Amino acid sequence: MIEGDGFEPKIVAFLCRWCSYAGADLAGTSRLKYPPNIVPIRVPCSGGVDPAWVLRAFERGADGVLIGGCHPGDCHYISGNYKARRRTVLLKKLLPQVGIEPERLRLEWISATEGQRFARVVTEFVEELKALGPIEASGDALRVTRDGESPAPRGG
Amino acid sequence: MYREKDMEPKSSPDLARHPPDVTYHDSTSRVTRHASRPRIAVYWTGSCGGCDVSFLEVGEAVVEILSHVEIAFWPALVDVKRSDLEALPPGYIDFSLINGVIRTEENYEMAKLLRAKSRYIVAYGACAHLGGVPSLANNWGKEEIFAVVFGPGFRPGSPVGEDNEAQLPDLIRVAVPLEEVVRVDYAVPGCPPPAPLIDRFFGALLSGEMPEPPYVFANVKALCEECPRERHDDRRIERIHRPHEIVPDPKECLLEQGLICLGPVTCGGCDALCPDAGMPCTGCLGPTPEAGDPGAAMLSALASLVRFEDEGEQYFAKEDEALEALADPLGTFYMYSFGKYRRVR
Ligand code: SF4
Ligand code: SF4
Ligand code: FES
Repeated sequence: MIEGDGFEPKIVAFLCRWCSYAGADLAGTSRLKYPPNIVPIRVPCSGGVDPAWVLRAFERGADGVLIGGCHPGDCHYISGNYKARRRTVLLKKLLPQVGIEPERLRLEWISATEGQRFARVVTEFVEELKALGPIEASGDALRVTRDGESPAPRGG
Repeated sequence: MYREKDMEPKSSPDLARHPPDVTYHDSTSRVTRHASRPRIAVYWTGSCGGCDVSFLEVGEAVVEILSHVEIAFWPALVDVKRSDLEALPPGYIDFSLINGVIRTEENYEMAKLLRAKSRYIVAYGACAHLGGVPSLANNWGKEEIFAVVFGPGFRPGSPVGEDNEAQLPDLIRVAVPLEEVVRVDYAVPGCPPPAPLIDRFFGALLSGEMPEPPYVFANVKALCEECPRERHDDRRIERIHRPHEIVPDPKECLLEQGLICLGPVTCGGCDALCPDAGMPCTGCLGPTPEAGDPGAAMLSALASLVRFEDEGEQYFAKEDEALEALADPLGTFYMYSFGKYRRVR
């Protein structure tokens, strides 16, 4: 958790190595300012982001998940980003059913040269998540404190 | 005794795709031997009763089967009380078949008690195996469930009757599959288990040679492998339908016709009873080890299938419209497995 008075959302970002990850790099080397709330994970292509990872990220305490892929037509594996887009559409339908606002999942096309855009997307997303606040699901199952993860007993 | 702190829910299972130790019907397995006339118990926890009735699925063979086992405890069939079970020596029962989810304090205690009295525990049916349909309730809190089901003012654990002679067992916080409260040796999956799996189980039981646990009586291969419906190479879906909306072609793959069939991510072993009869698979035998999290795997599969003659920006709106037709992703993807796969933050 980042120190501070207000709520600092945690964002897990799955970034395609060919575009968004490089874009994030560029934002860094160009010394652009963006909030430090993001945990970047480099993936070979946005089409390789397993929906289970997204759900898991939320269950493990992420307040938002960002998937960064190549612009339409630019995916190195031709249609990985299109698949990622359709998965995102389905995930956004599933998330509200488990008490998570669909806005907490974001898919963005960010190319390797768009360091500016990367910084803007992250800044915007952090603002949006701050407005949403922490996740409060309705089920007891989802109301467990984030750090209180102790396994149920196994074995007789 | 049930203690709330024992039930701290764990996070959803690890993403490891191939749990190394579990074997399936079609993966080779060593055997363990047991007595020629095994003692069995059958017990229901948070169950609809369907699992107890499912033994009749094998028809008259059930008479033959029952004549070869000794029934140590089976409340649905013989007059036994918890005290009778408590009086048995540890490990007295060879195989305890437990159906139903662990939902109440009593379920929890009975599972522990049966574990202590049995050599092997069998999770029988989707509820015991994966949480089943009742575990979908984990989406809501205990209080909300009571308010909706029993109306305002109902207090869990409250006494029944004027003289307070009986207490109702309270619900535990979440509905969990059996494996989260006791060690489970075998699983006979299904909702309820279909005849072919019941056959497999009793076949092994009566032969005196059971596969070495942990073991699942379903196939490691996906249901599609045994489904008689025809699949094609260039598979895609332009429109999603619900089963009541169309009459599917009798020969072709249901998924290709737009019905959400969980065959690609679900263990085989049922002889494709549902797809054969025109109903898409809803996933009751549980996910293949390959698929892992069944909902995420099916969501992924569907995202690959729903597309038009080509892909690209000009198709985004059409794709969105097609995907919008999926009415209930949670109930579709996790009908039987919510308790095991999706929980807890
Ligand atoms: S697995 Fe299905 S048939 Fe068995 S108790 Fe659960 S809901 Fe009923
Ligand atoms: S109908 Fe279902 S089980 Fe049969 S091949 Fe198609 S997807 Fe697989
Ligand atoms: S390679 Fe970047 S999204 Fe596929």
